[in-house]
Amino acid sequence: MVAKGQKRKIHGDYEIGGSVWASQLQSVLDISMDKFHHDQALVEPSLLRSVLINNTLRQVQFEVESLSVVGNPKSQTYTELQLESDFSRGSPLMGHNTHTDEDFMAWSSEDEFSLSSAISAILKDLDAVIEIGGPGPCVSQRAPLGSIENVTRDGKFTQSGLRTERTSDIISSSSKIDTMYPSGLQDVALDKLLLDIDTTVFEPEVNFLQGFSVTADELVKCLPSMSKSSSLDSPSSSICHGQATWEIHEIEHVMDILMRTCPQS
Amino acid sequence: MEEESDCRKINNSFLRDHNYATEADIISTVEFNSTGELLATGDKGGRVVVFQREQESKNQPHRRGEYNVYSTFQSHEPEFDYLKSLEIEEKINKIRWLPQQNAAYFLLSTNDKTVKLWKISERDKRPEGYNLKDEDGRIRDPGTITTLRVPVLRPMDLMVEATPRRVFSNAHTYHINSISVNSDYETFMSTDDLRINLWNLEITNRSFNIVDIKPTNMEELTEVITAAEFHPHQCNTFVYSSSKGSIRLCDMRASALCDNHSKFFEEPEDPSNRSFFSEIISSISDVKFSHSGRYLMTRDYLTVKVWDLNMESKPLETYQVHDYLRSKLCSLYENDCIFDKFECVWNGSDSVIMTGSYNNFFRMFDRNTKRDVTLEASRENSKPRAILKPRKVCVGGKRRKDEISVDSLDFSKKILHTAWHPYENIIAVAATNNLYIFQDKVN
Repeated sequence: MVAKGQKRKIHGDYEIGGSVWASQLQSVLDISMDKFHHDQALVEPSLLRSVLINNTLRQVQFEVESLSVVGNPKSQTYTELQLESDFSRGSPLMGHNTHTDEDFMAWSSEDEFSLSSAISAILKDLDAVIEIGGPGPCVSQRAPLGSIENVTRDGKFTQSGLRTERTSDIISSSSKIDTMYPSGLQDVALDKLLLDIDTTVFEPEVNFLQGFSVTADELVKCLPSMSKSSSLDSPSSSICHGQATWEIHEIEHVMDILMRTCPQS
Repeated sequence: MEEESDCRKINNSFLRDHNYATEADIISTVEFNSTGELLATGDKGGRVVVFQREQESKNQPHRRGEYNVYSTFQSHEPEFDYLKSLEIEEKINKIRWLPQQNAAYFLLSTNDKTVKLWKISERDKRPEGYNLKDEDGRIRDPGTITTLRVPVLRPMDLMVEATPRRVFSNAHTYHINSISVNSDYETFMSTDDLRINLWNLEITNRSFNIVDIKPTNMEELTEVITAAEFHPHQCNTFVYSSSKGSIRLCDMRASALCDNHSKFFEEPEDPSNRSFFSEIISSISDVKFSHSGRYLMTRDYLTVKVWDLNMESKPLETYQVHDYLRSKLCSLYENDCIFDKFECVWNGSDSVIMTGSYNNFFRMFDRNTKRDVTLEASRENSKPRAILKPRKVCVGGKRRKDEISVDSLDFSKKILHTAWHPYENIIAVAATNNLYIFQDKVN
């Protein structure tokens, strides 16, 4: 009874960053993701099981992160293994047999990014599942009572379970990625996350996120779309009913910029 | 006419075909009552079967009080939650007996969402000689009645009937994993993944929430409740275990909501044994107070631990159930066996503990002599009334005759549920759809 044809050694040879450890990391990640997707297909996955798989995925993510922080040689071993297994699975990756330091860091961070963004996406979907205890990440099937599960900080219930839940999920996942990666990859990370989402529902928010780091002209363009959103009453720092705190701060920040660049009307 | 009566007898008696196992027959819980006279089993099909120990007779001393079927009834039916479009399984998760207070027996049985109180009573007399109706039940025309008579009770064949007396429902969003009757015999608690509710046995339309570990933001959920039990003597004390391997003892006198524990039992992790599965295998699947109330026993995936209530920092004793599986955790994670929830039980004097394993093996540990034994619940390997032979799993190297190697273990044959008679050395072991009852050797 061995996993994936790899013979595992006894614990004495089991050092962090070693090939044995890396292969088990890969196995655990693959198995966990398989289980997660399988549970998504179930009508009602067991909460205990979901929490345990979720925690295991978080642990894998943590190990991967600590690996990238610690040093290169171990990362290299890991990414080479990742490469081999990806090749064997036929995924379309370019060969990187020799690495310069820059290429190496870009590759390993992108590799971790794909790993970590996958984990973040999983955690986000998993949380939606835990939330409902029902059908998977199809938020449209969310029970009406589900919005009561999460109460915002100011004690008010979320206005519309559908929109604000996904928004806060996007925000929390993107904030996770923010802290982990250099800003160059941030847009890539956000784009990749947003690919899975029906953006027509979130038109205002999506524009908002993309407009965060651009000029005042584009901010002005965003203004009509923001005022369209029913949750904004005035361009002041009034807390919007049901919006996530992150968004509130961003609105304020944008408003500050607008006040500085555009004449008062 | 004779054939008809034969058919009726067959239909009323309890038949289980052992040759094929339907999933509905899988036993999901086993429990002796407080005197040991009755043994109840619940199965995946929502049925409860109650066995009764027959009186010992001098004529047949070798048949020392065997258990026969006493009553069978359908406790829970499958339900459909229309709001969430979910089916609620009828599988009986737990049965707990109430202490006997009159001629009838009472037990609590629960599925994922609803707890029911059942009354099991005997009827061996029936009234005869009604005035207003005939013996076969037809109403008599009052005009034809000329005399009055007093109905008398006449003996009849013993009939055991089970009636639902209370239904405790709509209190749990998540799946109920435990129920526990309080020593005050007035209240009981039901536990799901995130909440524990306290009920009065008489009141079904209201329960009190005493523990709630649901985070405000479900994204932060990392720990769930796995089991809970009341202290056997102190009606204000209970414990609950978590998926992270910790046990919290709570005192209901401290506050209405017992989110803050009085005691916290957790063993620090052994860094040399750390792996990706450390957390999963530390998840506690069962927690049981000793009969004395002084000790606590917990079962996680690989070990059984005995805790002293006065020492929170580490367990008093740790017993390895099947440590040979430690190197196979990745495969066991893959085939989901790592999520199996094994139960554990004390014997009447708290000197021996028992728990199940794979391949229909179960293990007993003597706390005093520190000896342990592995036995098998299987018809192929033991005849009725034969003494069980101790089994051994060989880990590596040369396998002796009679030993079984780790790779030959059948992981589909798992013993999750066992029970021990409160006074005598009689144990009940559930192996998938079969129930085994073992007794001490008669001298």
